[in-house]
Amino acid sequence: MSEPVCIRAIPTSGLLDYWLGDDVAAEAAVEEHLMGCVHCSARLEALVRVARGIRRATRAGHFHGVLSASFVAALRGDGLRVREYHVPANGSVACTVTPDDDLVVSHLRAPLRDVQRLDLVFEDLPSGTELRMSDVPFDPAADAVVLAPDVAMLREFDTGLRRARLIAVQDGAERELGSYTFDHTRFAGPG
Amino acid sequence: MSAYAAAVHETAPTPDDSDLARRIAAPRGDAEAETELCRRFAPRIRLYGLRHLRSAAGAADLVQDVLLVTLQKLRAGALRDSGKLASFILGTCRQMVIDGRRGAHRRERILETFSASLPELAAESGPVPDSQRLEHCLARLAERERSVLIMTFYDDRPADQVGASLGLSPGNVRVIRHRGIEKLRLCIEAQEAP
Repeated sequence: MSEPVCIRAIPTSGLLDYWLGDDVAAEAAVEEHLMGCVHCSARLEALVRVARGIRRATRAGHFHGVLSASFVAALRGDGLRVREYHVPANGSVACTVTPDDDLVVSHLRAPLRDVQRLDLVFEDLPSGTELRMSDVPFDPAADAVVLAPDVAMLREFDTGLRRARLIAVQDGAERELGSYTFDHTRFAGPG
Repeated sequence: MSAYAAAVHETAPTPDDSDLARRIAAPRGDAEAETELCRRFAPRIRLYGLRHLRSAAGAADLVQDVLLVTLQKLRAGALRDSGKLASFILGTCRQMVIDGRRGAHRRERILETFSASLPELAAESGPVPDSQRLEHCLARLAERERSVLIMTFYDDRPADQVGASLGLSPGNVRVIRHRGIEKLRLCIEAQEAP
């Protein structure tokens, strides 16, 4: 038996809204369609598989990015072992990553209230390389940006200094909000 | 809302579903038709279960329970309008989620009757994308897209919750989320292509 192609497919945004409960008014109609439509239900299933992959990468700490403090608290509440550092603007911290850590995050303190766009530059001083993270999300009402580097990358770091810089960007001009020095010690194992 | 509902009649494989229903309801039954019905609807019931129960185990149980009831009804000739099979299955899903699980004893008894007709119902849906491929594609997203996708899909958070902690409006989160997941999907598919 051949399966017909859907001529009125639910857009991806509609499937995501349904899955995440963002459009309650459309929920019943979307469910009617999905139960009768092999095409759209297969598309939703594919999205759900990608979502499972994202969840798996998050739990393994295999990503780099900016998160919110409340999200990190939720990860900790779920049992993830999160190593956290709080670094004041233009301050430094001694840091490491151990085999027991699922995730390492740094709370970079900075005044964010009037910032329109925020870039984050991460410098690996021993190798002279830098990564610029453009237009990172941030809550202007918060007093810190939460940076979560890829744990696999951190484990590869030799002992040495790394630095993060938060840069406010407005009308093409840049203003440094803070510099954060990480005095990293490579985990040498017990004893 | 109505556009989606109307699409059921235009897109659903109504004649095929009806045909399956009639074959199952025939006096001698039709094991092949029952297997096809299970193959066709199990993934959709599982999705419904995952959406409402947020539990893979709960969704797998729902698949089994709903298909058991559906086969019972069809075998007994109790589903009057075989053209509305999908609607009947959705209604059964809704009722079962609302009512909670049926009693274990009754479920076990029905399972004994129908176990030969229910192939691999509890099996997971297709595989999750390869870890390295997904992580590579995740790293290539814009910063806002990556943050929003991670904070959304770690535990399926709605847009208002994600937005509140990132200083974004729910509408903005939905736009970023949609753009990010499409980019991620295309990147993964491109990597999978031979």
